[in-house]
Amino acid sequence: MSWTQLNLAVATPEIFLLVAALIVLLSDIFLNERNKSIAYGLTLAALAGTAYLLLQSAGQSPRPGFNGMFIADPLSQAAKFGMVIGVALMLVYGRSYARLRGIFRGELFALSLFALLGMMVMASGANFVTLYIGLELLSLSLYALVAMQRNNVHATEAAMKYFVLGALASGLLLYGMSMVYGATGALDIPTISQRITVHGANNLLAIFGLVFIVTGIGFKLGAVPFHMWVPDVYDGAPTLLTQLIGSAPKLAAFAFTFRLLAEALAGYKPDWSSMLTILAVLSLVVGNVAAIAQTRLKRMLAYSTISHMGFLLLGFMAGTRDGYAASFFYAMSYMLTAAASFGMIMLLSGKDFEADQIADFKGLAKRDPWFAAMMLIVMFSMAGIPVFVGFFAKFAVLKAVISTGAIWLAVLAVACSLIGAFYYLRVVKVMYFDEPENQAPIAAAPDSRILLSVNCLLLLLLGLLPDRLLTVLTEAVQRSMLP
Amino acid sequence: MTMQTIYLLIPLAPLLGALIAGLFGWAISRRAAHVVTIAGVGISFLLSAYVLKTLLSGGDSFNGSVYTWLTVAGLEFNVGFLVDRLSAMMMCVVTFVSLMVHVYTIGYMHEDPGYARFFSYISLFTFSMLMLVMSNNFVQLFFGWEAVGLVSYLLIGFWFKRPTAIFANMKAFLINRVGDFGFLLGIGLVLAHFGSLDYAEVFKAAPSVQEATITLFPGHAWSLMTVTCVLLFIGAMGKSAQFPLHVWLPDSMEGPTPISALIHAATMVTAGIFMVARMSPLFELSDAALNFILVIGSITALFMGLLGIIQNDIKRVVAYSTLSQLGYMTVALGASAYQAGVFHLMTHAFFKALLFLAAGSVIMGLHHDQDIRNMGGLRKYMPITWITSLIGSLALIGTPFLSGFYSKDSIIEAVHFSKLPAAGFAYFAVMAGVFVTAFYSFRMYFLVFHGKERFGKASHHGDHTDEEEATDHHHGLTPGQKPHESPWVITLPLVLLAIPSVIIGAVEIEPMLFGDFFSDAILISGNHEAMAKLGEVFRLHGGVTGMGTHAFITLPFWLALAGVALAWFFYLKRPDIPSAIRKAAGPLYSLMENKYYMDHLYINGFAAAGRGIGVIFWKLGDTILIDGLLVNGSAKVVEFGAGLVRRIQTGYLYHYAFAMIVGAIILLSWWLGGILPALR
Amino acid sequence: MTLALFYLFAAILVLAALRVVTARNPVHAALSLVLCFFTAAMLWMLIKAEFLAISLVLIYVGAVMVLFLFVVMMLDINFESLRKGFWRFFPVAGTVAAIMLGEMLLVLTSRYANLSAARLPEPAAGFNSAKALGKLLYTEYFLPFQLAAVLLLVGMIAAIALTHRQRKNTKFQDPADQVAVKAADRVVVLKMEAEKPAHAETDTTHTGEKA
Repeated sequence: MSWTQLNLAVATPEIFLLVAALIVLLSDIFLNERNKSIAYGLTLAALAGTAYLLLQSAGQSPRPGFNGMFIADPLSQAAKFGMVIGVALMLVYGRSYARLRGIFRGELFALSLFALLGMMVMASGANFVTLYIGLELLSLSLYALVAMQRNNVHATEAAMKYFVLGALASGLLLYGMSMVYGATGALDIPTISQRITVHGANNLLAIFGLVFIVTGIGFKLGAVPFHMWVPDVYDGAPTLLTQLIGSAPKLAAFAFTFRLLAEALAGYKPDWSSMLTILAVLSLVVGNVAAIAQTRLKRMLAYSTISHMGFLLLGFMAGTRDGYAASFFYAMSYMLTAAASFGMIMLLSGKDFEADQIADFKGLAKRDPWFAAMMLIVMFSMAGIPVFVGFFAKFAVLKAVISTGAIWLAVLAVACSLIGAFYYLRVVKVMYFDEPENQAPIAAAPDSRILLSVNCLLLLLLGLLPDRLLTVLTEAVQRSMLP
Repeated sequence: MTMQTIYLLIPLAPLLGALIAGLFGWAISRRAAHVVTIAGVGISFLLSAYVLKTLLSGGDSFNGSVYTWLTVAGLEFNVGFLVDRLSAMMMCVVTFVSLMVHVYTIGYMHEDPGYARFFSYISLFTFSMLMLVMSNNFVQLFFGWEAVGLVSYLLIGFWFKRPTAIFANMKAFLINRVGDFGFLLGIGLVLAHFGSLDYAEVFKAAPSVQEATITLFPGHAWSLMTVTCVLLFIGAMGKSAQFPLHVWLPDSMEGPTPISALIHAATMVTAGIFMVARMSPLFELSDAALNFILVIGSITALFMGLLGIIQNDIKRVVAYSTLSQLGYMTVALGASAYQAGVFHLMTHAFFKALLFLAAGSVIMGLHHDQDIRNMGGLRKYMPITWITSLIGSLALIGTPFLSGFYSKDSIIEAVHFSKLPAAGFAYFAVMAGVFVTAFYSFRMYFLVFHGKERFGKASHHGDHTDEEEATDHHHGLTPGQKPHESPWVITLPLVLLAIPSVIIGAVEIEPMLFGDFFSDAILISGNHEAMAKLGEVFRLHGGVTGMGTHAFITLPFWLALAGVALAWFFYLKRPDIPSAIRKAAGPLYSLMENKYYMDHLYINGFAAAGRGIGVIFWKLGDTILIDGLLVNGSAKVVEFGAGLVRRIQTGYLYHYAFAMIVGAIILLSWWLGGILPALR
Repeated sequence: MTLALFYLFAAILVLAALRVVTARNPVHAALSLVLCFFTAAMLWMLIKAEFLAISLVLIYVGAVMVLFLFVVMMLDINFESLRKGFWRFFPVAGTVAAIMLGEMLLVLTSRYANLSAARLPEPAAGFNSAKALGKLLYTEYFLPFQLAAVLLLVGMIAAIALTHRQRKNTKFQDPADQVAVKAADRVVVLKMEAEKPAHAETDTTHTGEKA
């Protein structure tokens, strides 16, 4: 055992991020309330540095490290890049929002960075232990972040629910992992995968564990019936943290699922495929139907997340390279779309005012035509209307589903999307055809305005030119799959 | 700079200009708006000229993808360019005319509140048109096709406060939909039978399916190529305003004059001609389709020209002239003389743009009076406009040695040599068309520039349609007021367009028609020998000058001369005769006055029937079946489900945890149920 | 012998766990949990994982549970209200639990479960589990070990952020302020007109207590 065997270089971005997070944490001690912007700047610099380091390693073939505990492959690097973007968007959109609510503090920055670190570990873990600790790192940071606004009753309640249910889910996941360990005698993914292939698929103990692993994954993604936390947490948490929960972790969950199901338990594909089908169908139906009844935008978006995760699972269900790539594309585009949607809410929110009701968007087209158009793009993309990226994400998934022969699933998914279009378009209708209740112009900082516009236009651009991103992601999946 | 970068820059430069002027028009000055767009189109023109020069001096043509837009089921949708001499020539024509129109617009739209918007639109049009001509596949062709249609729609309705403009743009849009429907079906057939949308692949595979047939209705097997080509040509009929889909073009004159010149004369309407020429390897495989094209083209060439005679709106005269000339081009395509068609397309682009812009200059000089009955004697006041108009008219009627002569006479001769059954009728139509063209052109010319000065009569104020937002403008001149020549930004494009109108025919006829200019782009099958015979005759007469001198002893020349003479006699010498004829030929006149009742047929026939059917479907299908049963029914189900889910979402932690456990059990049971038989 | 001990401890463990949820007295419940930990430690001992067993006792019994007992005894939590509805939900919950148990048994007792494959290897003579564990942690499991440290750090940050940061509406005394206060600050004498109604003003007294 030596340093060279550890191969620390593969985790350069993570190591950099950890050091940067510690620096941000320490810097907070020396900064008074007025100088928090310095910590904020440091945080953004940390993210930029991480992104830079990730780009440095782009295109390299899979490199294991830490005695096989960690793997930096194209899939994980691409996912991590997306996560960094997601967290950065959250910080920029939420800057004044956090300041007005008294949570513009060192912990916000440090915990966000730690959460990001957790996500990155989830993406790169090549061992059940690493994966699990990454998940816990993310979850623990999120619990604390949601509860940060302590005098907000809704936020504390949300944090409480999130924490208890999260602990339950992670217990189930761990139980499942231990079963797989018991059955295969290994914790690291390539070995598990290999032993399962050798021993054949009728090892009941491992499949028994698989059920609980799927449960844990279902919770993390917010798939029905493990979705109950999603509406309450999305709604209760301060919007900037809703954005954090709703965007980047979906990518982490994708990579996590990929590691566990597509790599480690690939031998049980028929088993988990049918389980995922149940989750996907339930998510699509419940998510879309329940979203219609919502009047609160954040709650509506929460149910819409559930339905989107149904789509993501459908890609997995297909269990092919193209299916995984479609899911990956879906996660990536959903991350951007969700970030933009919550960014819009924060853009319209003021000091003592949360624009989290659909009614708050009334007449936005008259107040601010530009951002009404941006919100229109976001909603159209979520609804999966062509030329926006959401359409191509859905399209890619459906293609993968159809290629497996499950036409009925594709039909069902399309039908659910149609139901979904109703509530997205209702937001558009409210923006363009209702009279504004609030005439005040939008007061938002130029940085978030510009970035939000870029983000929304990106949804359009990626919809117009989806092929390059899809090719990159497909290639990443292709090169990262175990032989 | 590599060639590929240049190819990319050519369409992107105008697009960038359009985006800047369109999205930031509110922020930048008017000056900045026209500077960026003119710069974009200017760059594009220079590069196009460079590309053409490279190709002519032996450079290789380019055919390749730039970006893969989408891959579906093994089928790639690419953004790609095919730059050969045909497209390079089109690029030059498009960008040159567009550049002229941009400059002209500075003067013409000077006072318009939508100044930046207008520049944005015409630059966007240039981009779309370039995408269309540079495309190397059907998808991009269709994109360009629809994009130019969209911009045309936007520009016809540019003055969106005028109901006539809105009616006109709606009409243009709907009629084009009919054509596009055929076009799309044609593309669909190509895709279905060739499995590719790439020109090169389709053309390569085309000869092998020449004998293939398809059965559209049981019992009737039709040649695949004929059906495909006719469908594609229906698309061209919509875009190039061929009978019976021509009715939108005269109405499109509701748009500002610069776009009439750019879109509805020089470029967009020729897209159909270009498309057919580009698809020559397909069309050559079907004589039936070529006959169809010949018939449609000759009807358009003759009968639309006739309508030009009775128009009194200066722009409408030019519009009917355009229709007629498009008919000529179509006839050339039908006779397999693609070169001649494209050649006429090019010369026509210059002199027709010139005529339109000159008409615009006249309209400005007369303060937005468009009625030629209120003009006359303008040559004294607007010398440059007068001279350039004369040149344009002479070129149009085919005066020997001017550009229109070479292209039009080539077409007439090509029809003469064509052996298709429809060629006889076509030959008659194009020959008669020569006389008609000369007559209406010079009728307009004499009425506008010669004779008595009829402007400045107060009674004409505001009693006709005109082109400005009718608020603070007075229309026509007040008594005693004199017209004046237009500023240099208007006259400069006129002069610059007059030059090619004179010389381009003589310069280019030899390489384009009889050289190997289009050797790599246009394919003519061996049994269509019109072009070959045309070449023999051309050499027999001794080339460019020989063809010009020989013309004096041919029929077309004398027909044209007769047309001019008759126009002079009727409208300068004895202005009482035309009104006498009008009275005498009552029914015939009202037939023409009503444009052969085509509009009536469409509006009261098809449109009314369509609406009738629509009402039935709406009442029966929509209100009862869909609204009542499907929408409201399913909405109720969904509402119920939503309420149910909401009730389950109690907010109690233990309910949630319980749901999770139950979920895990469901998964476990599902799986167990599947393998239970194997357990024991 | 080992097997007999295993069943004994396992039975105690299950019973104790049941007591944790059913006991009326919270102190009893906490003590049952302590018993759970103890017996679990014994189970680990049986598979010769003495380090883990000792850690469990030291950390969970010695630290966590003692702290928990303090909390239970010192805070006035109404456990009756928390337990309300326990018996009402019991039938449903019990059914679910029974199904779960049944299915687990079905799987684990099946001959395809292949439990024998999961048998632990017999440790070599002189095997020291603490030493082996330490070695593993610092070599093979270096990354998870470090990450676990980060996880603990996050736990600390979270705990401090959620409890120790200054609250806006907590009341506390600032001795320095109290000492520095002057008589003049404490009593303000107001002149009042006799005819004025009584509710005009109230005395303001400054005590050094901050709101």
